[in-house]
Amino acid sequence: MIRPTMPVRLDVESPVVETTGLVKRFGETAALSGLDLQVPEGAVYVLVGPNGAGKTTALRVLLDLLRPDAGRAELFGMEPRERPGEVRARIGYVPERQDFHYGWIRVRDLIDHHARYHPRWDPGYAGDLIEELEVPTDRKYARLSKGQARRVQLVLALAHRPPLLLLDEPTDGLDPVGKKKVLGLVADHLASTPTTVLVSTHLVYEAERLGDHLGVMKEGRLTAQLPREKLRDRMHRYLLRTPDGRDPVEGADLEVLQRKRAGRELQLTVWGERSDVVGRLEQAGAEVREASPLSLEESALALLGADERSAARTRREPTAAEV
Amino acid sequence: MADETDVLVEIQADDARPIYVQIMDEIRRAIVVGGLDGDDPLPSVRELASSLQVNPNTVSRAYRELERDGLVYVRRGRGTFVSPEADREADRRRLAREVAERALRDARRHSLTAEELVASIRAVSDGGGGGDGDRAQRRANQPTEGREES
Repeated sequence: MIRPTMPVRLDVESPVVETTGLVKRFGETAALSGLDLQVPEGAVYVLVGPNGAGKTTALRVLLDLLRPDAGRAELFGMEPRERPGEVRARIGYVPERQDFHYGWIRVRDLIDHHARYHPRWDPGYAGDLIEELEVPTDRKYARLSKGQARRVQLVLALAHRPPLLLLDEPTDGLDPVGKKKVLGLVADHLASTPTTVLVSTHLVYEAERLGDHLGVMKEGRLTAQLPREKLRDRMHRYLLRTPDGRDPVEGADLEVLQRKRAGRELQLTVWGERSDVVGRLEQAGAEVREASPLSLEESALALLGADERSAARTRREPTAAEV
Repeated sequence: MADETDVLVEIQADDARPIYVQIMDEIRRAIVVGGLDGDDPLPSVRELASSLQVNPNTVSRAYRELERDGLVYVRRGRGTFVSPEADREADRRRLAREVAERALRDARRHSLTAEELVASIRAVSDGGGGGDGDRAQRRANQPTEGREES
């Protein structure tokens, strides 16, 4: 059993978003510690990670709401620090927290105010979104519930049809019907407007049907970054029986992400070519009952778990990426 | 309120099949059971993506593959339609095969052999058990009767 070596670089030319060795510290804490993010054009990139992994910080750096301490960020080939206006004009942003400096403004006025700053604002589309999302335009922004504020932010993010959407926990605070509606609207938006999406979420199952790329973030950097197709291709869950009670993984050249044992049954999540993995397991005396691909959520959980374990095991010997 | 799409397409996130394959299978199913007839339009990519909350690229891919299989044709600017010459019998056999494959996978998981599975399907459909699983199991039985594909 060996430590899985997950891909952390996407093989794409001129990604819409690219960060190189991005570092951001808050006092003693490093929120970003060498983030190399690549979001290909037209992708729906799902960024996952535990709380405090640095997802929100990363998005805020991309918007020039935060200055990095080291490293580079580029959007559409431009650095947000140098050309914040041009970069932001190309972005629709749904922030994780509601910002209350809009406080007592009425929702309708907030939307009008926003529209004036965006030359490409589509009033007809904004009207459709307001209706579809049942946005209470007469209410004061500060008086909205979390879910209602989310809906307003979605209108603000989508109605100028920006080429890039940065969504930070976009369904947070929405009820199940609202979530479904929002995800449907995003799908509809993608079908009508060529858009690249970077969505940060801890509810991966919600991005299951939309996401085509996965980035797993841990302690300020990516521990895996790859297309969904590659996950389907190379990550599987195997259900085995070990008739002689021998551990087929011990000594085998397998990249195991997760394992669970119950009696003589063993469930393994393995990174590698399926027929090759099955061959090795059978050679080690196991009966392979099932080999199935994982959902995006299961993949993310396996990757997050594996990272924890291997990080613990290799604490004394930092990898090349860490030094 | 109007129906969202003209075709009932249901997908499961935890299904082992990729989503585009599930969409293809659902459209196939609609064609086989007569929910869709020759020259009937499929929902637009946008409609289906929005109602299923899936990535439009996934729907496009399903439609492209269905077109390649000759089940649908595209008229530029007008949409995607069911081929009138779609071979329903062949597709029915294919559907049965896929159901059988799924049943077999499940059997293997439970350490049952194909023979044991077939025998119990016969037993159940010959008047035993009955109930909801009855019809699905009878379909799963078909490929062993019509052997032309294996």
